[in-house]
Amino acid sequence: MQRPPTNEKPGPPSVLGRPVSPFVAPPQPRTPFSSTGLVAGPPGGPVYGGPPPVRYNGPFAAPPPSSSPPIPNAGIAQLVPPVPGPQPIRFSGPSSPPPPQSAYPAQPPQRGPPPTGPPTLSPPMSLRPNQPQTPFVPMGPPPQSASPMPPRGIMPPPPVESSFPTPSATFQQPFPGYHSRPAGQVTSIAPPPPPPPMHAPPFHAQQGSYMPPPPIAAPLGFNSREQLQYPSAGPPVGSAGNLQGLVEDFQSLSVGSVPGSLDPGLDVNSLPRPLDVDEKPSSLTEMYPMNCPPRYFRLTTHAIPNSQSLLSRWHLPLGAVVHPLAEAPDGEEVPIVNFGSAGIIRCKRCRTYINPYVTFTDGGRKWRCIICSLLNDVPGDYFSLLDASGRRCDINDRPELLKGSVEFVAPTEYMVRPPMPPLYFFLIDVSINAVKSGMLEIVANAIKSCLDELPGFPRTQIGFITFDSTLHFYNMKSSLTQPQMMVVADLDDIFIPLPDDLLVNLSESRNVVDAFLDSLPSMFQDNVNLESAFGPALRAAYMVMSQLGGKLLIFQSTLPSLGIGRLKLRGDDIRVYGTEKEHLLRIPEDPFYKQMAADFTKYQIAVDIFAFSDKYSDMASLGTLAKYTGGQVYHYPAFQGHIHGEKLRYELVRDLTRETAWEAVMRIRCGKGVRFTSYHGHAMLRSTDLMALPAVDCDKGFAVQMALEETLLTTQTIYFQVALLYTSSSGERRIRILTSAAPVVADLGEMYRQADAGATVCLLSKLAVEKTLLQKLEDARHSVQLRIVKSLREYRNLHAVQHRLVGRLIYPESLKYLALYGLALCKSLPLRGGYADVQLDERCAAGYNMIILPIKGLVKLLYPSLIRVDESLAKVSNDGDSMKRLPLTAACLDPKGLYIYDDGFKFVLWLGNMLSPDMVVDLLGVDLSSFPDLSRVTIIGRDNEASRKLTRILRKLSESNPSFHQCCHIVRQGEQPRESILLLNNLIEDQNSGVSGYLDWVLHIHRQVQQNV
Amino acid sequence: MDGGLLLWLTSFFLLIALLALVVFQLMCLADLEFDYINPYDSASRINSVVLPEFIVEGVLCFLFLISGHWAMFLFCVPYLYYNVKLHNQRQHLVDVTEIFNQLHREKKRRLIKLFYLVALLFLNIFWMIWSVLEDED
Repeated sequence: MQRPPTNEKPGPPSVLGRPVSPFVAPPQPRTPFSSTGLVAGPPGGPVYGGPPPVRYNGPFAAPPPSSSPPIPNAGIAQLVPPVPGPQPIRFSGPSSPPPPQSAYPAQPPQRGPPPTGPPTLSPPMSLRPNQPQTPFVPMGPPPQSASPMPPRGIMPPPPVESSFPTPSATFQQPFPGYHSRPAGQVTSIAPPPPPPPMHAPPFHAQQGSYMPPPPIAAPLGFNSREQLQYPSAGPPVGSAGNLQGLVEDFQSLSVGSVPGSLDPGLDVNSLPRPLDVDEKPSSLTEMYPMNCPPRYFRLTTHAIPNSQSLLSRWHLPLGAVVHPLAEAPDGEEVPIVNFGSAGIIRCKRCRTYINPYVTFTDGGRKWRCIICSLLNDVPGDYFSLLDASGRRCDINDRPELLKGSVEFVAPTEYMVRPPMPPLYFFLIDVSINAVKSGMLEIVANAIKSCLDELPGFPRTQIGFITFDSTLHFYNMKSSLTQPQMMVVADLDDIFIPLPDDLLVNLSESRNVVDAFLDSLPSMFQDNVNLESAFGPALRAAYMVMSQLGGKLLIFQSTLPSLGIGRLKLRGDDIRVYGTEKEHLLRIPEDPFYKQMAADFTKYQIAVDIFAFSDKYSDMASLGTLAKYTGGQVYHYPAFQGHIHGEKLRYELVRDLTRETAWEAVMRIRCGKGVRFTSYHGHAMLRSTDLMALPAVDCDKGFAVQMALEETLLTTQTIYFQVALLYTSSSGERRIRILTSAAPVVADLGEMYRQADAGATVCLLSKLAVEKTLLQKLEDARHSVQLRIVKSLREYRNLHAVQHRLVGRLIYPESLKYLALYGLALCKSLPLRGGYADVQLDERCAAGYNMIILPIKGLVKLLYPSLIRVDESLAKVSNDGDSMKRLPLTAACLDPKGLYIYDDGFKFVLWLGNMLSPDMVVDLLGVDLSSFPDLSRVTIIGRDNEASRKLTRILRKLSESNPSFHQCCHIVRQGEQPRESILLLNNLIEDQNSGVSGYLDWVLHIHRQVQQNV
Repeated sequence: MDGGLLLWLTSFFLLIALLALVVFQLMCLADLEFDYINPYDSASRINSVVLPEFIVEGVLCFLFLISGHWAMFLFCVPYLYYNVKLHNQRQHLVDVTEIFNQLHREKKRRLIKLFYLVALLFLNIFWMIWSVLEDED
């Protein structure tokens, strides 16, 4: 991944372009632009500054705090401290001369020639009437803008927020506090006030015009220069339709490549960002109202290409993301249908289940299968007359004919054995690490706390094995009062000391189980055993469970060191990285694990791994067990009870109590001509198209890729039907049917229009993670990039003829976030960097997680939300907390602010250096000046308004993602290395870990797209 | 020249055995593809004959080597090298968990092996007839 040299060689034309536009342009204050200038403009400004002395007068003379952010006047810019720590104070004196350059060591001095001559419009702009508007904001006579500072309450959001227009936003609404001046002159928009200072008034009076703008990281500063030059960056065409009046069905970013100029100008603020949460393919539901809701089944593009040649031009993966047990909102539960004596109605030939798209003919005596078009007889019990329009008269009583998602109760033909009871078996490491870290105690308590909520009462079965260098079995027979422990020390020849009673009915043996869990922590509290006979324990658990199947929960806190399946330390050899052998680190070392996984699946055993080691514990090998059995990997690196305890407790309880489908198989049928080629997710294929899922629940998603079998599809519509046959916890055999239809198209443009970015990126990420298991990280990242480039190039070719596209990166509206998600994917834990960037274990665990994540969780993980909260905490009123998401860049972090970063797995609470000390004390109960250890500070339960509000906000955030518990990490600005690890490295729009930032990435892609056109 | 004929006969039968082993593996894969057997059986059947196949091939090579048939030995060496390489990378056994994803690759591998063996077989027959004719002369 190379960082394109974007900043070098500014071409003269671009320089010309910059200062010009403000004067010429019609004054249309548009808020998003204004803020744009605010954020990015100033730092770039000084670079070119031709210095009319006037300009400093303004801010100094009339320094309303709100207007303070530097207001570069026509081509001259004021310097803005990029790192506004103590700056405001530094500059505070109105009398202090403005020595801009000196203040900014970070700024590259003098790039590009100073503007010469009268302003003229630069070529690319002339194409786009609306462009000139953009630069207005930062310009303008500062003094006039001395607008009275708006009252705190209605203060506009901090500049940063507004600065990044959400792509689809309608930004005509000016914020309060913005002033626009009439046309004909320089328009000035009072820059949005900086976040309201929490300090005493004198303080901000002092700050005067040098009130620091939002902090801007150095790289961004560079970019902003370009942005000034070409402040164009077309706003979403769809919304304004202002691109030469053309109604185009693509969006574009002007990359401003003037012929001869090597310096592409592109506004970092105008790049599309998924800051608006809700993005669902809505047109589809109108087109096919009987499709199952998109939360269950989403195609990467809701238009199937009709020919191989068309498909070969679609460079993104074609496939679907299935989330069969997605949690349905109240009132939209999947209806359950019992056919009773009629039996389940299926096509005789292809075994497709009856669904809303079938048609009845012959007076209702026959129905036509949607997949294979066979005419089937309607069983006598199911017969109903047709009305005049050919619909069945009883259709309203038949959910299976009305809804795309329905559940059938399966009769005995669908069972190979009586439905199994829910079965939970625990394999718990009790070596010294497990005890010391507090894991054992928390696990025992958590299990005990949710015994009542385990699904399937009264059939639920439960059992335990603990192990260190020996195995301990527990006889839990209901007639006992205390469990009997049996120790097996022969690791080479494992045997089960007791044929029955290791696995007992929970309701019958409840007292014994309770007694066991009570005594478990104390039983081993003095254990000094370091070893871990993991492999033999696994074997033993397998032998106990193989009769029934069920769920095996493994708690492992060291590297397996004894007996079969012992593992070696690996992954600390830096030389392996970048070589052909690199991927071997990410796949299981010992074939034992794959073999065990295969055996587990065969006997309907799902394995969930909870790993706690602070040292290398070979997640790659352990995770394999979960990967092929429909399990899940939970990784708590360096687990410590007092920090991660709550997370473990929550996730363990959720794992045990969420609705689980047992001994399931899933098959996806699709119409003739299309075929599913590969399946991704935690499952094992039992035959070419049958996924075996010993257990599946609402937190597991699957992705499938498809291919065309025939060169030309003749049908108009392709139908898909997902069938999940499973045993519910209540012991009923059920089939969940999800039916969906998609049109067949002959037009590539239509495919792009109907593309689903979420599903595409979900499938793409699963493919990329699997690629890391076969190839180098570098190759996996490269393939992601290549796909994006190819697809955008194809799209460009599609439109190149009709429009003048010089210097514009165009992309379909539906895939506007594709580039961003691609970047995020390359920076995600499984794919990021190399040896030093992510611990091998963490990388593997994150990879396993990414494979099961459904679309919603994945999108959240790829582009986490960053929310500023200090203002809403300071507000007295109780009304809706603003949860506005900010772009993920360090430039958004105001040192006076308090931010929450939420990626669905953790919260990071970032405290700016200049955050009001009172608030810090209110929230944390500690004084930052004493440099407390923030990793030990908690935020919950302090008795003041701000703390309560924060707690409420955090709860709201975590409720939006109930799959995981989010630990709240508190980090102070500048607190290295925690700040980098927790937050800065995850700000994907910045350049970090050797990968370019968002802007550079887009430019890089743009350059590649233009090649070979 | 009895020794020569005996050698060619032995190698002929070894090649036939190799062909049979490879065809057996291909049949298992084909059955799997058409869902006649489950992946567990298929993988264990294939894996049970992989090592025998490698050993037979090794013996064949060794036989050519000690009997001084350099040309045939050289023809066999690439195959042997490939097998040894697979074995050292521990990729010689099919992986039951991933068997469907690897199906095409595994099939292709074995088809190439099959054609290679058939070519070897023809060469072998040619040499066998040659040695018989030489005997008669």
